[in-house]
Amino acid sequence: MSILYDEGQQAIATESRRVLEARVSKEELLPLLETSGRYHEGYWTTAKEQGWTALALPEAYSGLDLGLVELGLIAHQAGRSLSGAPFLTSNFGAAKAIELYGTEDQKAKWLPGLASGETIGAVAFASGANALPARPALTLTGERLDGVMTGVSAGLAADIAVVFANGPGMPVLAVAELADVKRTAIASFDNSRLYADLEFADTPAETLVTGGAAREAALHILALQAVITAHEQAGGAEAMMEIARDYAVTRRAFGQPIGAFQSIKHRIAEIYGLVELARANCIHAASREGQSDFITAAAAARISATEAYDTASRDCVQIHGGIGVTWELGLHLHTRRARSLAIEQGNLLFWEDVLVDRLTGEAA
Amino acid sequence: MSDLEAYRAKAAAWLESMVPTYGKAARKGLSEADDLALARKYQKAKFDAGYAGINWPTEFGGQGKGHLEKVTFDTEEMKHGFPSFYFGISLGMPIPVLMQFGEDKAWVKERVLKALQGEEIWCQLFSEPAGGSDLAGLRTKAEPDGNGWKINGQKVWTSWAHYSDYGVIVVRTDPNVPKHKGLTYFWVDMKAPGVTVRPIKLVGGDSHVNEVFFDDVKIGDDHRMSPVGGGFAVAIATLMIERYVATDSAGFGPHLDLFVELAKDTELNGKPAIEDGRIRQQIARNYAMRSGLQSITARAMAMMQAGMTPGPEGSLNKLVAVRSRQKLSELAIDLQGSDGFTYDDHASQKEDWTSSWINAPTGRIAGGSDETLLNTIAEKILGLPQDHRPDKGVPFNQIPA
Repeated sequence: MSILYDEGQQAIATESRRVLEARVSKEELLPLLETSGRYHEGYWTTAKEQGWTALALPEAYSGLDLGLVELGLIAHQAGRSLSGAPFLTSNFGAAKAIELYGTEDQKAKWLPGLASGETIGAVAFASGANALPARPALTLTGERLDGVMTGVSAGLAADIAVVFANGPGMPVLAVAELADVKRTAIASFDNSRLYADLEFADTPAETLVTGGAAREAALHILALQAVITAHEQAGGAEAMMEIARDYAVTRRAFGQPIGAFQSIKHRIAEIYGLVELARANCIHAASREGQSDFITAAAAARISATEAYDTASRDCVQIHGGIGVTWELGLHLHTRRARSLAIEQGNLLFWEDVLVDRLTGEAA
Repeated sequence: MSDLEAYRAKAAAWLESMVPTYGKAARKGLSEADDLALARKYQKAKFDAGYAGINWPTEFGGQGKGHLEKVTFDTEEMKHGFPSFYFGISLGMPIPVLMQFGEDKAWVKERVLKALQGEEIWCQLFSEPAGGSDLAGLRTKAEPDGNGWKINGQKVWTSWAHYSDYGVIVVRTDPNVPKHKGLTYFWVDMKAPGVTVRPIKLVGGDSHVNEVFFDDVKIGDDHRMSPVGGGFAVAIATLMIERYVATDSAGFGPHLDLFVELAKDTELNGKPAIEDGRIRQQIARNYAMRSGLQSITARAMAMMQAGMTPGPEGSLNKLVAVRSRQKLSELAIDLQGSDGFTYDDHASQKEDWTSSWINAPTGRIAGGSDETLLNTIAEKILGLPQDHRPDKGVPFNQIPA
């Protein structure tokens, strides 16, 4: 089972690429690395104006009723342009959690704001290496949350967070307002992602789902986010491949373009293979939303996209030689993003285990 | 059900009915001669059922259907281990080229029908000891001889030449011009005087490929299938014939399920190997790679069905799949430890890890080596420059040997 993009979807890809190329430049992205607590506001304004925040949400709550395929196309372009704001994925994950598991009241309360982008959402499940910990770092007592979540993507700016917590004797998925939560910005190698530690203390929270279903729900939300992130990774990898190619046909050494040397051309051809495998897995995974093999497809997309982006950015720098490691050229923006995206939404180790669990029917 | 799905269902049912007579179990223990005899009967049965020459024109005895039906049938057929590979080259390249470039249409039709029914086999005489990746560097020559030509030289890696009735061949007819321009394309009778076929035994123990020697082999000018000096273009047309063939994300080795089973059944340091992180990582990464290839193939099929041209990413299949099959097979043997020494040279490469492993190097070379494929991707898809070629524009007989 696979899909071909239709005309409308192709138009989304073309238009989002055009808009992002016009509005996001590396000159704006570089300074963001040197301070913490700032992100690319122009990108977020663009995302809101273009309706990307509303894209995959239901019409009944001010959404556009499109799906993962369309949002994936935009994420791919955002990855190419290093959009510099984490919210496209985190907002979507938080909104989907409320849409899929919330009550009518909860949906009415949160979804329109998340759809317009006026409310910024975060998803906070992980505890260090564990994307879905056996013992979550937060405890829900009554309707109050306590504990510290570390390294929450978009955590510094988010208005609400969907969290995975210990409920009374069972895990629980809940949504909390962050207005009174103490936040500490993390000095990161990719500062514009607004990573923060969140300290919950008697914080009001509303339950979305409890018990075994909460863990399944959390995995499903992670998988949805992973597919979006994988598209972003594939887009970044594709950009690195093109930058490497363009340099290899222009830069000359020993009387010929360096792209004529097999050590260079084969390296770029290998990246092409990784990018295309990742892209194919991403498109497939996006088209499997709602099907029984969705988690498996999401894991495969995540694994191949992580490998593609890391390898492409690593090799692109190597192909450039000395100029590749300068601050100004900005290749490091991709190197940084490749690694930050590799950790967000569950690391490679997590998704490898999820995939093998699915294939074998047993957990390690 | 779409037309194509209906076609698939019908083909699958027919193939299923052939399993008792021609399937894996029926072929077990047969000598190669007996297997080939069985293969000829199977090919005839395919022809009679309308599954031979599926996408070929009806005027030559084909079925006149589309490429999609052909790939669909091949995909279903691959599941059963039928002896169809003896005809793979013959029906894959030489016969389609013959249909396209053969002058005597009545004679061509006779050959096509015989080949489709498994009565005649054709081989493709391209590679030489000095011209493999560099096809245009070949040295076998044809000189004018009366009204025809006289061939002298040697070909190598010729699949099924020892069973072939005819072959298509590229030879040098003019050494005084740059290498691509001095080649001409012919067909030859493999039983003609002066043709000697010598099988080459490969690492896996089988001898599907041959050296073929030509000593004063005389052919008429009516054997010529290209203008004199225009053989390279026809050779390239031959190699381009089937860009989208039925592919296999397992690299024509075992399916990943078999590795998962092995890992479940094998104990490593007192625990099932499936619990070992190194094993799990390889399973996960192989799955991701294979599912990517499958998605690329599925999209290519969908594009063809929609009347569009698939993207170039279909060219990744062999490069990526065979290489990873080689590594996974190594790991599977490692995993068996001292139980891993056993080797049965009749075992199937698709079911046996050792057989898969020992034959994998052949897969990485035949049909374009990894390096050749990477060059093709780099140059044709990504627009990177060609390698430095010192023989460019130099007359063939002035290229330093």
